[in-house]
Amino acid sequence: MADQTLTAPVSAGRQQAAASRWSGSFVPRLLTGIAILLTWEIVVRAFAPAYVAKPSTVLLAIPRVIVDPAFLQALGATLWAVTEGLAITIVVGTAIGVLMGRSDTVDRMIRVYINGFNALPMIIVLPLFSLWFGYSPATRIATIIFAAIFAITMNVADGARSVPREYLEVARAFRSPRMSVLTGIVLPASMPYLLAGFRLAAGRALIGAVVAEFFISAGGVGYYILYNSRSYHHDEAFVGVLLLAGFGVGFELLVSWATQRFMPWYRRDEKSN
Amino acid sequence: MVVNSFRRHVPLWLSLFAGVAAWEIAGRSTSAAFMVPFSETLVRLWQLITRGEFIAQLIDSAELFVTGFVLALIVGAPLGMLLARVRVLRIGIEPYIMTLYATPMVALIPFILSIMGFGFAPKVLVVFLFTVFPVLYNTVEGARSIKPELIEVAKSFRSSEWALWREVMLPYTLPYTMTGVRQAIGRALVGMIAAEFFLSSTGLGQLIMGASQDFDTAGVFASILVIGLIGVGLTRLGLNIEQYFARWRQ
Repeated sequence: MADQTLTAPVSAGRQQAAASRWSGSFVPRLLTGIAILLTWEIVVRAFAPAYVAKPSTVLLAIPRVIVDPAFLQALGATLWAVTEGLAITIVVGTAIGVLMGRSDTVDRMIRVYINGFNALPMIIVLPLFSLWFGYSPATRIATIIFAAIFAITMNVADGARSVPREYLEVARAFRSPRMSVLTGIVLPASMPYLLAGFRLAAGRALIGAVVAEFFISAGGVGYYILYNSRSYHHDEAFVGVLLLAGFGVGFELLVSWATQRFMPWYRRDEKSN
Repeated sequence: MVVNSFRRHVPLWLSLFAGVAAWEIAGRSTSAAFMVPFSETLVRLWQLITRGEFIAQLIDSAELFVTGFVLALIVGAPLGMLLARVRVLRIGIEPYIMTLYATPMVALIPFILSIMGFGFAPKVLVVFLFTVFPVLYNTVEGARSIKPELIEVAKSFRSSEWALWREVMLPYTLPYTMTGVRQAIGRALVGMIAAEFFLSSTGLGQLIMGASQDFDTAGVFASILVIGLIGVGLTRLGLNIEQYFARWRQ
């Protein structure tokens, strides 16, 4: 009871402050949004051919597209591929990253390759991957993994290296087995880095999936966009772009939510408006 | 000291040597359609260079890269500072910039293709779109973190708006903008190759596409090797630029 009376006013006050900040920024955001959409609409109506997407027609296309079985199938295919690719990436990327972070020898041996591949613009492997895996969904998965894995590996390696020395010394003093040092100290300590890497990797995986679909014409949101914009159905195609943007933002929100929920001690410097 | 640094680099050289050896062995033991040995890749690369087409394509790509990148800098950095200076504008536009930053820009390529066609301009637009958001975003972040005291002092000395920008905003945000530049380099390379793949085929993208269409696997590997080296070099350059300007940051 005492606890409640103590905390209640504080949290109410905080909520109020948050609410007023939110409404304070809400109006300019809404107005800017409307201004952007209006400008777009007017410019396209005045200068562009009729097939070019504009807000009003895209809006009308949304209900049509989201019940279109072809679109849903494409969406499912892309999402599944990205999920599968990211799952593989997280497992393999974390394993390599921990090895690099905890062993100087491994680090010196493979860092040059990890850095090199990370600097490679990922889409140049497409011709090679399509040669190796054929014009099949396997190429898409391979591209997604290639696009995403180095971001995860590099971040986890940084995380595993920066485990506080005292923790490891205490663990050694208590003769903890290596495995429990790994699962009890190294992995949890690298978690924030893994999440930061995941944030990068998810965006790249999405790009990888779309590019692979463009390149090999595999069914998915990327191919849906390509096909529809080629046949001058720009409104339908743009709904696909909106969806991809939604994924991109969704991944960002997911990561910052997970960071706050599971790692409240780890704060990315809070931005104040 | 010299011996020490040499010994530190032994694992690096060993691992590079092992990598090349593995590549050579893998290339020799599989079909030439899938993979070619390192030696053959080098021979092919030498052919491409001496025949001159390689240099021409490289210049083509560089032109695209530089044009798009410079445009993104010219637009992104001042706009970022403006957004930081005008609070209403920033609050209004920021969520949209974040959304665009998170949007996979490649998805816009088909639209750019069907509206703008196959010229140089649409490709520059692609590179620009890939590049501008990291620059813009980091500049806004930097300009936002300017200490209010600095601006207040400038104001109380009746500094003009122009002098405020030149003496406070620009020096303060430049290191942040350079972080954006470093991030943008990688994205600009992706944008460049994507534009060369999916819009009109030119430059290094065309080189690699052409090689893969001719089933010239050695050519594909040679192109990837070169683009990889360029990528590593540019990333290094970006890091150096960022570190050079980071000395200004306290």
